[in-house]
Amino acid sequence: MILNKSMKMKKQLASSLAVAFSTFAIWSCNQSDPAPKGDYLSGVFVVNEGNFSQNNGAISYFARENNTATADIFATANGTALKGGVQDYAASEEQGIILVDNSAAGQDKVQFVERYTFKDEGSIGAPDIENPREVVIVGRKAYVSCWGTDVSKYSTGYIAVIDLTSKKVTKKINVADGPENLAYANGKLYIGTTQWGAGNKLAIINTTSDETTSPIATAGIANPVGIDANGKLWVNASNKMLRINTETNATEATLAIATGGTKTPGNFTFSNDLKSIFFVLSWFDDAFKEHGATYKFSISDTQIAMVTPLIPRPFVGLAVDPTQGLLYAGVSPSYTQAGYAVRYRADGSLVDSIKVGIAPTGFFFQ
Amino acid sequence: MFTDRRFVCYWILWASFALAFPGYAQKDSIALDPVVVRGFVPQKFMSGLKIQHIDSASLAQARFQNVGDVLSAYTPIAFKNYGPGQLSTASFRGTSANHTAVLWNGLNINAPTLGQTDFSTIPVAGFDQLSVQYGSAASIVGSDAVGGSILLGSHASVKPFHVSAGRQRASFNNHQAQADVRYALPLNSQWAFSGKTAFYDGRMNNDYPKPTRNTYTLLPTETFQKGIVQDLFLHARNDQEISAHVWLTDNKLTLTPSDEQGREMTRTTAYRTMVRYQVRTLTLRTAWVRDIIDYAKGDLSHPDHSVTDKFASRVEKDFTLNPGSNVNPVFIKTGGEWTHYRSRVPGYAQSPVSENRTDFFLLTRWQPTSRITASVNLRQGFVTGFNPPFTPSIGLEYSIVQKTLYNLVLKGSFARSYRVPTLNERYWKDLGNPDIRPETGWNKEAGFEQTFKAALGGTLRTSATFYHNRIKDWTYWNPSRNYRVENLQQVLARGIELQLNYQRQSGSWRTGLDAGYAFNRSSQEKAYDNYSQDIVGKQLVFVPKHTANANAFVQFKSTRVTGQLQAASKRYTTFDNSQFLDGYGLVNLLAETTFAFYKFKFVLQGQVRNVTDAFYLNVRNNAMPGRSFALSLTFSYDSQ
Repeated sequence: MILNKSMKMKKQLASSLAVAFSTFAIWSCNQSDPAPKGDYLSGVFVVNEGNFSQNNGAISYFARENNTATADIFATANGTALKGGVQDYAASEEQGIILVDNSAAGQDKVQFVERYTFKDEGSIGAPDIENPREVVIVGRKAYVSCWGTDVSKYSTGYIAVIDLTSKKVTKKINVADGPENLAYANGKLYIGTTQWGAGNKLAIINTTSDETTSPIATAGIANPVGIDANGKLWVNASNKMLRINTETNATEATLAIATGGTKTPGNFTFSNDLKSIFFVLSWFDDAFKEHGATYKFSISDTQIAMVTPLIPRPFVGLAVDPTQGLLYAGVSPSYTQAGYAVRYRADGSLVDSIKVGIAPTGFFFQ
Repeated sequence: MFTDRRFVCYWILWASFALAFPGYAQKDSIALDPVVVRGFVPQKFMSGLKIQHIDSASLAQARFQNVGDVLSAYTPIAFKNYGPGQLSTASFRGTSANHTAVLWNGLNINAPTLGQTDFSTIPVAGFDQLSVQYGSAASIVGSDAVGGSILLGSHASVKPFHVSAGRQRASFNNHQAQADVRYALPLNSQWAFSGKTAFYDGRMNNDYPKPTRNTYTLLPTETFQKGIVQDLFLHARNDQEISAHVWLTDNKLTLTPSDEQGREMTRTTAYRTMVRYQVRTLTLRTAWVRDIIDYAKGDLSHPDHSVTDKFASRVEKDFTLNPGSNVNPVFIKTGGEWTHYRSRVPGYAQSPVSENRTDFFLLTRWQPTSRITASVNLRQGFVTGFNPPFTPSIGLEYSIVQKTLYNLVLKGSFARSYRVPTLNERYWKDLGNPDIRPETGWNKEAGFEQTFKAALGGTLRTSATFYHNRIKDWTYWNPSRNYRVENLQQVLARGIELQLNYQRQSGSWRTGLDAGYAFNRSSQEKAYDNYSQDIVGKQLVFVPKHTANANAFVQFKSTRVTGQLQAASKRYTTFDNSQFLDGYGLVNLLAETTFAFYKFKFVLQGQVRNVTDAFYLNVRNNAMPGRSFALSLTFSYDSQ
């Protein structure tokens, strides 16, 4: 039993390195609409992955001025839990979308909620949604990366295109090697693949036609970070950061991350001005204790300075609040106890920490 | 469902039962000693410890169920259950699944790789006798007996020829079938032969009519179980007995069986064999057990295949020491056990691995007066690579009142316990730890038992037991170290158990009540990193603080109606107690009637399970089934 569990944990740990960058893309605050009503109007939503075998993921919420969180707002609003791990959360103007990953096959789903009350607004389950990983909202469509049913060779992955009005999957676009992280810019969806697969390219979907276009080959498994202040796409591939021209798909610059061959970079996130990138570099010692640190570099740097970390510890999630500019970092002591959202200023100085749910890997700011 | 306040009320109710009755029944004298049956486990050296025998009628009533169902109904043992027909492990007195020894005819049958038993794989049809021994009995039982021991036994048939066959059909397209033959015949003036051959076959398809309850999934699973039991006894008049026991059992569980890529299959197969020879005060036993676990996901044709063989031999010899003419004799049992393990597991750093364990023990029992029984027991184990601690225990029983109609016995025990690390804990690649230390604990307990022979027209027994069990070097698959195993924790489990048993017979009517309540406070005592501060002092996961169970029956002639209640308070699912599963209460109803003519009998039994349609969740956060039904018919023929 332990065998399978521990293997799962390893994979889960890896997948948890993904951060909901998509949240930046859809973050918008339409001031002209009538004031929305609900308990969750303005604050921070935390994606708690939960412990895989216990199916106990949750979305936590706190207002920015508070330092205590409501651990599971879906349960608070609906009297029933999400019943799975939570992989990602994003919201359209009125609707929240939660990706729920259950340990048993055929039980995964995309859960819709009313954005400000978190009331259940229905869900889409198997076979439309199998092993969902990340979501990006573009207009009235949501793009959900899914591994499909084959999670050993990743031969069945796809992007599910969901029409947010009808709440139906209108198209499944096949993507090989386990589609994972997503980044959106100017009518193009960039799709990275899981680090457990054999991927060596960044897939691209034209969101007007919902067809794939020629992928960008990468030396290593691609993990798109997002579009910087100059409109350039940043992609992590193995121990390198690639700066890509989105017009030509050509790699314009390659920056090395000093991993020493044993450390793993992850949790890339942009600063609010889109001129810096934060990331975590971590590794496990022989006793499986995790070590690492959080670094920051500028998009104009010619090399990534690794001498002094911004914060001398690793995290399982990292994101910057567009409103206040604070860096939110997820701490997961283990998959069997609640984690913390720790807040830092841009210079790496500590603000406070807030107890949230199990394995806080992502943040959504509203 | 059960709030703490309601439990406090129950507690007071029970306490008043236990404490208030002495005044009522102090009438007269002569109390019968509890019957000491010569068994596979030396229970007579367990003085001071609480032993509960599950009566044969209760076992017969559950003949189509698993031992976990019986233990949930009759004891305060909490089960960590993954769903119907799925993994079900015990938490005995607030300990973990590794801390309950399961003995089959005296042999520990916990899987050596996992160090625990999946109670969903042990059908009641596989054994004849069931007893539960509470608290640490490591000096007698050995490793694993930290929270308590479950004793399964075979029983020599006394009937010349008896055959029975039965079938149960339950809701959700679930079926059980079994048959057994019992036989006994004298071979000559000296020797007699007896035996039993039994088969069982269970098919749980779990075809739930609705896929969810209260929006929670009823996970599609199927469990197929089958087995054969063969017991042979040769008994001689000059106190010699040779017996052979075989139990082959196979349990195949598949999660989401119709999903060809996502389904998960776990098949647990055990071959258990034993030969035992007893001549007067000497007993020799040798056993071979093979445990096989096959696990596959998606493609079920090439499962991960792990095989563990256990060869175990035991010698024990009884002595009687007479210290003097005016002093009662001291009974002594001494002996040794040798066990060799050989295991091939795909996840181990090396394959095969082997390990030897040796144990020597000395058990004593002395009754200096008719009121006092004392036991001092000693045990030392030796294991390849390290040695578990020297394990002594002392137990005392003092009979305060011995009257015809009333008995009151005080009991106490102070014992060291240990648990040898499992093979997984030592040899698992990367995550196992060859240098892991054995766990060790000190268990203290005290309690009393009283018997009223003429209470409310029947016999009433009540008992109360307080215990305090501190376990050091508690091993832990540390979730913050990628589940690498470490001797991280120190756990203190303490609590109280109250039990009541009432039986009455008048004319053709019989009534009875078996009820228990337990309070278990079990917590981690030692911090080991910054964030373990959130865990220290918190209740262990899946250990309810309060459990209650009750079984009441009314029988008229050969028709019996039984009501069962099982309740547990909330079970925390995270170590910091930030999440929990709600408490629940389950009610089951059973009605059974026997039609007899000539030498034939038909037993017709109906069950309503979860009568109130209570909603509760299992470990996977999936719903457990609501109200369901079962109907069974068992035919038997007895030559006598």
